[in-house]
Amino acid sequence: MKCKIGYCLAAVVGFSLLSGCAAHQRYTWDDYDKKVYNYYKSPVEKDEFVKNLKEVLDDSDSDGHVPPGIYAEYGYVMYEQGNSIQAVMYFQKEADKWPESKVFMAKLISNAQKKAKKQEAKPGDPAAAASGVTATTEAKAVVTPEVAK
Amino acid sequence: MRRLSLLALLLVVATAAGCATPNMSKHEKFLEAAPRSILIVPVINKSVDVTAADYMLSTISVPLAERGYYVFPINAVKRMLEDDGLSDSSMVHNASAIKLAALFGADAVLYVTINQWDAKYMVTTTHVTVSIKYQIRSGKTNEVLWENSERLVYAPKNNGGGIAGLIVGAIHAAITKAAPNYMPLAHQVNDKALNVYPGRGIPLGPYAQEQAR
Repeated sequence: MKCKIGYCLAAVVGFSLLSGCAAHQRYTWDDYDKKVYNYYKSPVEKDEFVKNLKEVLDDSDSDGHVPPGIYAEYGYVMYEQGNSIQAVMYFQKEADKWPESKVFMAKLISNAQKKAKKQEAKPGDPAAAASGVTATTEAKAVVTPEVAK
Repeated sequence: MRRLSLLALLLVVATAAGCATPNMSKHEKFLEAAPRSILIVPVINKSVDVTAADYMLSTISVPLAERGYYVFPINAVKRMLEDDGLSDSSMVHNASAIKLAALFGADAVLYVTINQWDAKYMVTTTHVTVSIKYQIRSGKTNEVLWENSERLVYAPKNNGGGIAGLIVGAIHAAITKAAPNYMPLAHQVNDKALNVYPGRGIPLGPYAQEQAR
């Protein structure tokens, strides 16, 4: 009986150690890699990529395990679509969550603001209309001084 | 019975050793530089398979981030480099890591080169041989902090058994040839290259260390 208990104990310790270095994931990726690959395979399906990125974002945001780069990745497709307000918002989120990203995010935020300004100058631009116009002023308000520095 | 428990204990010790402290000599430069963030730049593809670069680029950030590093958004980085006139991957690889790191505020840069990616299609099965080189250079000094080369022969799982199995296998190989899915292969080779540590893999990054504490 004694032996049995010892054996059980050793097994339990063994398992707990095993799980300690097993490959459980730190972040919720939601097939991010497959989604990026599919987009590179057929770049015309940009809308699908945007939708897929949003999925990763929503799922990881809701469980609090957003992987590094995901806010910025989504912000970048928003930027490409001319939605500067959303772009700046997500670049800012990336910078707040990951201090390592601040240099890059400051650059992307500044690019998005420049783009918004250009759109404002041309009020007839459909992309500016879609993003809700007055983009410059609102985009500026979102940036905290920390990153704008 | 006592022998069994001894065996179990031995197993425990072996397991514990598996995730024990790092081997200083091999990783000295890396540990000294202690990068927090790694910039993944577009992959050089020297193989004949045109899809290989996309497979490697899209799959590398997950295992790196899981090892505890901040990884930059691959697609946004790729686009920014293109805007800066660096759309060609060999041009990017020839650029100094210092210059690239400064563009993004990265501590280190990861360069991946595909040396081989050959698929051999046989009647019932496919064998893919890949050979990948990974190198991390310091964004401050351009010094090589870590490098590793992995070669892997990959055979997608096949349905064995009898003539029926043979036919299913043949169909499977045909489908594979038309639209191969190399996702599992890319995962395997990355895992082998990065996660064997202590060994040839890379040390845990700051976010993994925080969690371990």
